[in-house]
Amino acid sequence: MPPKKKGGGKGKASQASKPPTATTEEKATSKDNATADKPPTKEKAKANDSAIGPALPPSSTTATTDPPPATSTTLPETQTILERTRARFTAARPYEAHLIFGPQQQQQSGPLPGKEPGLGGLGDLQPQERSAWLATRIAARIARRPALSATATTVGSATAELARVACGGGAKTIKEVWRIVNEGSVPLRAAGEKQFLGSATGPVSRRIVRWEGLSSQAKGPSAGAGAGKQVPSSSRESQTIAAAEARWERRVRLTCLSAESRCFRAQRDRERRGVCDDRTGERVVVTEQEVVEEKRRRLEIAALRREMSGQGAGSAARGVGKIASDPEWDDVVPVVLEEPEGALASIAYPADYAEAMSYLRAVMKANEHSERCLWLTEYIIKMNASHYTVWLYRAAIIFALKKSIADEIEWLNKIALANLKNYQIWHHRHLLVENHFPSISSDPSAIATFAASERQFLERILAEDTKNYHVWSYRSYLVNKLGLFSDPDELASIERMIDDDVRNNSAWSHRFFLVFSHPDRATPGVAATEPDPKVPPEIVDREVAYAQSKIRLAPQNQSPWNYLRGVLVKGGRKLSEVEGFTEEFVKGLGKGEEEEDVKSTHALDLLAEIYAEQGRKEEADLSLQRLGQKWDRIRFGYWEWRRRCLGMGAAAA
Amino acid sequence: MPGIFRVSGPRFPLCASLIGAGGLVVIPHTPQIPPELKSRIIIRQPLQVLSFSESSAGSAASDIEIPAETCMGLPGRTYVLPRDSSECLPRFEVGQRRHARIAACYVQNATARAHDRDTVQWQQTPSELRSLGSCAPGRANARATSDNDSDSVVDEEIPPHSPNPTMRIPDLFTQYPIVRDALVTPTSQAQDETVEACLPFLRGESDKVTTYNEHGVASLNRETHLPFLRQWLGRLPGRLMGFDAGRPWFFYWCLAALTLLGEDVTQYRADLVETVRFLQNPEGGFGGGFGHLSHLATTYAAVLALALVGGEEAYDVIDRKAMWRWLGRLKQPDGGFQVCLGGEEDIRGAYCAAVIITLLRLPLELTPESPAYKEDGSVNLLTGVADYVRSCQTYEGGISGQPNAEAHGAYAFCALGCLAILDHPARSIAKYLDVPRLISWLSSRQYAPEGGFSGRTNKLVDGCYSHWVGGCFPLIEACLNGSDKLPAADEPSLFSREGLIRYILTCGQDHSRMGGMRDKPGKFPDAYHTCYVLNGLSAAQHQWELDPPATTTTTTAAEEGGNDMAADTAALAEAAAEAVWAVLPYLGEEGPQIFDHKDRVRPIHPVYTIPTRCVKAMRDYYGTVEGF
Ligand SMILES: [Zn+2]
Repeated sequence: MPPKKKGGGKGKASQASKPPTATTEEKATSKDNATADKPPTKEKAKANDSAIGPALPPSSTTATTDPPPATSTTLPETQTILERTRARFTAARPYEAHLIFGPQQQQQSGPLPGKEPGLGGLGDLQPQERSAWLATRIAARIARRPALSATATTVGSATAELARVACGGGAKTIKEVWRIVNEGSVPLRAAGEKQFLGSATGPVSRRIVRWEGLSSQAKGPSAGAGAGKQVPSSSRESQTIAAAEARWERRVRLTCLSAESRCFRAQRDRERRGVCDDRTGERVVVTEQEVVEEKRRRLEIAALRREMSGQGAGSAARGVGKIASDPEWDDVVPVVLEEPEGALASIAYPADYAEAMSYLRAVMKANEHSERCLWLTEYIIKMNASHYTVWLYRAAIIFALKKSIADEIEWLNKIALANLKNYQIWHHRHLLVENHFPSISSDPSAIATFAASERQFLERILAEDTKNYHVWSYRSYLVNKLGLFSDPDELASIERMIDDDVRNNSAWSHRFFLVFSHPDRATPGVAATEPDPKVPPEIVDREVAYAQSKIRLAPQNQSPWNYLRGVLVKGGRKLSEVEGFTEEFVKGLGKGEEEEDVKSTHALDLLAEIYAEQGRKEEADLSLQRLGQKWDRIRFGYWEWRRRCLGMGAAAA
Repeated sequence: MPGIFRVSGPRFPLCASLIGAGGLVVIPHTPQIPPELKSRIIIRQPLQVLSFSESSAGSAASDIEIPAETCMGLPGRTYVLPRDSSECLPRFEVGQRRHARIAACYVQNATARAHDRDTVQWQQTPSELRSLGSCAPGRANARATSDNDSDSVVDEEIPPHSPNPTMRIPDLFTQYPIVRDALVTPTSQAQDETVEACLPFLRGESDKVTTYNEHGVASLNRETHLPFLRQWLGRLPGRLMGFDAGRPWFFYWCLAALTLLGEDVTQYRADLVETVRFLQNPEGGFGGGFGHLSHLATTYAAVLALALVGGEEAYDVIDRKAMWRWLGRLKQPDGGFQVCLGGEEDIRGAYCAAVIITLLRLPLELTPESPAYKEDGSVNLLTGVADYVRSCQTYEGGISGQPNAEAHGAYAFCALGCLAILDHPARSIAKYLDVPRLISWLSSRQYAPEGGFSGRTNKLVDGCYSHWVGGCFPLIEACLNGSDKLPAADEPSLFSREGLIRYILTCGQDHSRMGGMRDKPGKFPDAYHTCYVLNGLSAAQHQWELDPPATTTTTTAAEEGGNDMAADTAALAEAAAEAVWAVLPYLGEEGPQIFDHKDRVRPIHPVYTIPTRCVKAMRDYYGTVEGF
């Protein structure tokens, strides 16, 4: 449908029709409505998105709006915790501690101006310390991979050796790794946490207090009402310590993962550039297993970042999305959407969708046609099937990669059944057929097979939605393209649908097309409302009889009446041919309330035309008058106009 | 004791379907009715008995006085209920579904007896007796139910509908149409359900409506519609990401609706300009979202939105040269337009293109990159559009989206809009379409009692067709009033303005605090429907007049050299765009004005669907720009 909603269309879109509900008050209203009315089913599918409302502030800002805690009293306590934690941590993991806290003197004297202590950590490591640290991490990683650890020559092999194995290079490689780590300023922390990590100032204690509240909430009823506020100081202290420790753990883990990830990227880059391994002399190859691990690693990084930035699991805003965490996409620089300030009707895109779109823009710009792009189109289509751009792009990829059209159609069937109101799907199918047809055009049996499988699917989807405009439009296209006008199965299929619901006008329309657009019976350029001398009389007779038999089932059904009239005109017949039939449905016209009986206003309408055709103007006029006065009053103005047509001698037909 | 009784309850095997005034009435056939009762049924509407199986019809024939050949009963006749033969009729079977309906009928001169109240409920309602005596509408409380056969449900007594005496509502809008078939199919079920949902609103009985006037018409809820529309222009929640491919639509829908409600939308200018700027593609046109391909529908919406806010800043943001080249690439040899490069071709594309071309005053010449380009210059952007439109008229008289499809209301508007842009409607519409068939089809879209328009034959009313179909009538009127072959469209109007206004104000509005307009009761309001329902309201409340066509326009341009046909096309389109559409509030003879004065919305241009002043300002601006 034109300007579609459903897309919206009624694209519809069909029809995600609920307005944004910004306030709880409005939510309540719409809820009321929902109980009274049926909510669109499409809404349900997207219900999980509704949590991300524009009015919902990120939790990090709630922290600042918390009532300020008694900073002065908690300050010394927190310091103690920090110190204690640091001490313990440093003892257990010196390198990580160094990395995170920075050199000892900093820690003691507090953060240096202009230099965040946590960020300074890497740069302040001694070179051998870095190597050692990295190597332990890598060793741990290699230890998880039996195949590789077997290649590590001796038990006491140097950490550098391990690193070399892991990174596929020598000392130079390690240096390079570290250069990347440093220059890329590995996000060792989320910005919001700097203060907490570095010093025990206001925000820190505030944050801790918030955790406290959360953890006591998490404990549930057993903690008792108001427990969050009234925990005994000792238990509060232990909670805070535990929370802080958990945090250090996460931070360290994140740092390690990031470094490993850099290694992987470097390796991948080497592979792309065709660099050979110093040791083996063979070209660097990234194994499947390594890719899988890297994916897992990135997901973990993303999860850690989300946790640390205090955001809900549903948002990948500051973490790494599904695509960014896939090494497959490392070489693509996503084109991120930056809406202008104050943009109208801007949608708070779910993070996954926003990420996918930014990658789509990038690969479309590069006009890349590849498997991964094909995957991306599917990924986006499953989120937003009315995205016409991605559909066209998908078609281009399918054709460029010479993918199997049959496979694509099979895939498309599933998507179509899940998105009944979508119409981009049908244009995609159209493009597929256009592309596929030349390969079968010379083989009638291949056409017949294809036609049968298409018909089977069309029947299935029309059973779900009997009047779907775009399905029917596609069906007429298909008949035309494959030349199915004489296919008895097609006509039989339509007759079944009319038998199921004699009021299905879409089926009637298709029948008219099937019968009268048949290339053997249609003169090109003759309009649908004009007679065509090429139509064989027996076809006209057959169709007249068919329409009449269906009219008898339900005389007030306009579909077969329109059809009957259309057939007569197309066949160049006089409408008077069906005078006797039509009069069956109109009795005692103008003979008073008692006598007059109209079983079909459409019969009376046609009768008026028949009378006009025969020059029986008064009867025609009476018919129209009675329609306007009694039988079809909503169309009074139209019937009056028709009466004036009689006066002008215009046939109104 | 003589009287009229209503029998109701879900348990009855269905016997026949009786179409009553204002309700679906099913005559129950039940063994609980004593044989000696000789109950008689007054049928005030045609009756059709369905699905008599051969054997049971035979057994019942002695008791049922129904003309056998047609199975039709007559209004006002008395029919005897069949006696004890519970297997008389099967339930209706349609496809896989079984339909059970709550049975209800009127039984006259029956003796009231105590019966099993679980199964039969006899209740005397004197008001029904009166209503049966007169022609006043009665109403049965019949609703489609699922086939669960929950025995405990007994239909509660509802007296027949007696119109609220304080409101003047014609019975046309309070009862089922008098001609109805008894055959139940999914289509008729959906139709009945829609009527059931609409009737309380139409009858002035819905408790959701806060105020009805003395005509039983609700007032326009401006105070909720305005915030509703502003909300849709603001930040939208992520679940609406499906609209990512059509964001400019929101600009148009909301700004147009606000304008219709009399709001000043120039305050949105700066934000709109910045927003569309980043949706515009360097190769011309506007995409549905950032990085989306340019699409004719979204470009149409963006251009109209810019015209609505007006101002040089808004006009200058459009890259007209790129737009022109892009349109050329979309132009197809058959006269139509693809909606985007590689996209489908339909009549909506043609209409959007025609609007864009004439509003932006783009040159019509094609460049060689156009698929429709011809070296001799005989083809331009508007060539063949009318023929394409013609190929979309169907045997029903309506217009389909593409040739060979089903007639559809929205495409009818696009078709007429196209033709009215190409030339004066009196010439273009009359030349390319079968006007009487078209009018017949358009008029058939209006239903009673709903009063609203449907989009296709045998489909349901929907508020948005108030525009798509209702908006066709000003163009049809302009066609008829400038033509000497067909009678003019004077009083009464070709469609029932009262019906449409009743539907819009009672059924088409959300009456809760949410605001907005909707498809029909039971549906959620949205920006799309708010815009087009208000557009339709405007069409119903106003009357447009277009001067008859000048007689000699066609020959003037041809002398300037170049190709005659192409030059003619350009001259005609230019004349059509400059033609003055005069508007008056509709003050017809249909009856008193049923809506309150304050509920009259602003007129909008019948072709461009924005106020006439916006069309003029935009065209005037580009008229002063040299080249691009
Ligand atoms: Zn609608």
